[in-house]
Amino acid sequence: MKLDFHVILVQLPWLLRGAELTLSVSLLGIAFGTLVGVALALALQSAIRPLVYLVRFYISFIRGTPLFIQILIVFFILPSVGIDISRFTSGVVALSLNSGAYISEMIRGGLTSIARGQIEAGRALGMRRSLIWRRIVLPQVFTVILPPLTVEFASLLKYSALLSVIGVVELTRTAQQIIAATFKPIEIWVTVGVLYFIMCFSLGMLTRRIERATAVYRLN
Amino acid sequence: MTFDVAVFTFGLPILLKGLVNTILFCAVAIVFGLFIASLIALCRLSRRWFLRLPALWFVEFFRNTPFLVQAFILFFAFPRLGIRIEATVAGIMVLSLYAGAYFSESIRGAILSVPKGQIEAARALGMPYLRAMRRIVLPQSLGYLLPATTNQIIGVIKDSAALSVITVPELSMAAQVVLGESFSPVETYIMVALLYWALTAGVAALMAHVETRAAARVASPTLARVGMAGKSQ
Repeated sequence: MKLDFHVILVQLPWLLRGAELTLSVSLLGIAFGTLVGVALALALQSAIRPLVYLVRFYISFIRGTPLFIQILIVFFILPSVGIDISRFTSGVVALSLNSGAYISEMIRGGLTSIARGQIEAGRALGMRRSLIWRRIVLPQVFTVILPPLTVEFASLLKYSALLSVIGVVELTRTAQQIIAATFKPIEIWVTVGVLYFIMCFSLGMLTRRIERATAVYRLN
Repeated sequence: MTFDVAVFTFGLPILLKGLVNTILFCAVAIVFGLFIASLIALCRLSRRWFLRLPALWFVEFFRNTPFLVQAFILFFAFPRLGIRIEATVAGIMVLSLYAGAYFSESIRGAILSVPKGQIEAARALGMPYLRAMRRIVLPQSLGYLLPATTNQIIGVIKDSAALSVITVPELSMAAQVVLGESFSPVETYIMVALLYWALTAGVAALMAHVETRAAARVASPTLARVGMAGKSQ
């Protein structure tokens, strides 16, 4: 088996551009996913029972079905209800809806690390519920869940490869286009693998650094 | 948006056939995966660098690249080496390796969760290494191993959906067959999602049952706690 290294060098700039889109789609996914996660976690605390059941149903559905299928459902359902958005936006929506469910579970776990007394103290001081969440609960929860959040980001970065199926021209889709023109699948796929590896591995190292830096907040 | 009901009656048999294939492929991949994972976990705990390092690279490769890209690499590597291989075989192979890499991490963690002195004691009594693993370490680490494995099995089932991209005839591929006949993507994919959901929920329930059964039969400190929690509810 002879590898053609020249094609890798020639195509690398295009692959890097694809990697840039992979990074941005997963960054947007984790950012909006965090918002979705907070909203879901808040809804789970709600006194309205049907809302709680609905959110539990949603989380269970997201966790029980493949992201691949979720991406396709979002991609096909939005136009059919009259929402016309780009493939990229559709991809971001799918990733956010998916990671939101997982992040809400992290937040739920993080909430248990906060002593009830803190919330009661906030109440006693006359703080409103929203203010308690904003000033007391969420900052602490986010310090605790920051390491798993970076793990989720790395996971989203890997799974964003599935967006190639709906035609988002991220790293994997770029590779498919290059292969269609050059017929060098092995060279290109291995390079793509290396690029993903570099991104995910660096994120893994970042996670370990954050873990060490925030360890002091997780001692109680 | 109008909901196309006709697609349910004619699409469901095709999808159910796909579901059976998904179950079959995943079952095979999980069995192979557990075997690979045990080997990798033992290699990673070895003192010998030529066992430890390749095992580490194997795990790091599969954990830090997308499953889709792994599938493409394997799928195209065989023809390049002059070996003709069916998509299904390539798909099961890559799924096994992928599962093996993830399972090996929980097996390694499970082995490390048992105090080292126990295996040393077993070895001192003349028990061979592998038997000590099976008789001493495995039963005690089940409480750690079973829940972790459950999550990973569900992960394997969900990730296997991507195999349709390399034309493995599983559930997601069946969806494309249905779409070729009638263009109702939303209905079809919702049906597919529900089938996957039923499968993963079934696996979760089955594994919960296995956990309580194991707790009743094996003396494991971690499992005993799980069993007690189950009873008190």
